[in-house]
Amino acid sequence: MAALAARGTAALPARLRPLWALPARRALAADAGEGKAAQPKPAFTDEAVQTLLYKMTGLDLHKVFRPEKKGLKPPHYKLMTEAQLAEATRKAIEEAKTKLIMPPVLNEREPIDDVLAEDKVLEGTETAKYVFTDLSYSIPHRERFIVVREPNGVLRKATWEERDRMIQIFFPKEGRRVIPPALFKDENLGTVFQQDRHEDLLNMCIAQFEPDSPDYIRVHHRTYEDIEKRGKHDLLRSTRHFGGMVWYLLSRRKADGLLIDMINRDLLDDATSLITLYHMLHPECQSAKEAKEQKLQGVDLIKVFVKTESQREGYIQLALQAYEEAMATSSAS
Amino acid sequence: ALSAGSRLLRGRGGHVVIRFALGGCTNRPFFRIVAANSRRARDGKYLEQLGCLDPLPNAHGEKVAGLNLERLRYWLGCGAQLSRPAEKLLGRLGGAGMDGGGRAGLGAALTASHRAGLAGFLPLHPMTVTGAERLRRRRQREQQPEAAPADGSAEPGTDS
Repeated sequence: MAALAARGTAALPARLRPLWALPARRALAADAGEGKAAQPKPAFTDEAVQTLLYKMTGLDLHKVFRPEKKGLKPPHYKLMTEAQLAEATRKAIEEAKTKLIMPPVLNEREPIDDVLAEDKVLEGTETAKYVFTDLSYSIPHRERFIVVREPNGVLRKATWEERDRMIQIFFPKEGRRVIPPALFKDENLGTVFQQDRHEDLLNMCIAQFEPDSPDYIRVHHRTYEDIEKRGKHDLLRSTRHFGGMVWYLLSRRKADGLLIDMINRDLLDDATSLITLYHMLHPECQSAKEAKEQKLQGVDLIKVFVKTESQREGYIQLALQAYEEAMATSSAS
Repeated sequence: ALSAGSRLLRGRGGHVVIRFALGGCTNRPFFRIVAANSRRARDGKYLEQLGCLDPLPNAHGEKVAGLNLERLRYWLGCGAQLSRPAEKLLGRLGGAGMDGGGRAGLGAALTASHRAGLAGFLPLHPMTVTGAERLRRRRQREQQPEAAPADGSAEPGTDS
């Protein structure tokens, strides 16, 4: 149990930064090339999108720094003045921000099948295939040469799975296994979901797989679907997976559950940023056009969205009413 | 510090070789591809380890080999020789099969022949080709005698 959480949080920001660099640079270049407002489809890495997602993620210090199951140590008490406490809180917020850096959302990678040579002479001489890995130290793992010589004499580049395995054998990374654990198979995911350990599962998934591997994408999508089905959006709030979840749901126009959850928790600002993001992603929908024409703000934006785009209109209207009544009573009293 | 090994290294001769050093346990070999002085023991002190080879297939049916091409290129540039099995691996199994461009410095006509000879790190060893031919011929010969006695035993059977 402890191993699950501990494995996931190992070695994070240092690893993510170089990986981030590639897609971010490409996205920024694309931005600069095509112009800002006219871009047909905003990417996950756009600054505007990222600010909105970051605002929605929230910053609950108690959840981010919730005690992980590590070794038992007696609690550490410090005596501080008000100024020192403010300073410590500020530092904690900085640390929390690094912990909340969102992992990249990439498309699935293309399978490799590139034959380098065919030597019919070698057919029948060997019984097993040879996998050669280039162990030169200063090459990035993506550019490393890993080739396979089959028993029929064909020399081909290794598939992505073979590549990941070999790189893990020779350059082991903490938290990653050579053969992915059985936890990530579809039949076992259900057990994890029943125990409400979506966040731990996603942390483990980030440690184990590359962001553009089909397994990573499959596990993430399965998790988001389950959260949406059971309405447990709060499990991921104030974690770094929240942005990815919002992006997934909005791309598939399933913003209703999330909206209801936000209104029930009185997070109206988050709700408005959610709708704004929806309009950025789907600018051709009716509520987006109306919002742009009338330049709506705040609750009106939500109302327009509810009237035109949502499937669960009734629920959202009820939630909005409850919220407005609560606001009225609190301001009255 | 001077030790028994240095007696070997005085005098004349001795050159750098890239060869396999055997390790592992009983019935479980494991080779390290190593650059060493030719007069050292097979598993003794070496100059640098350049990779490894696991001759037994793993759970996925592959024999895993790692090669530090950068350092290999350095030692070959310093004039290291290759042992027979090392030649077979590097030259033969297309070795790393990657570095056709890197080996261009050693003179062979790289530009035209991408696939043919320089498919691998080095060209195929001639003994590899010869060995493959011999194996094929031996298998054929094994099949023919089986066919001949089978015919021989079938005829008396049909006769009688």
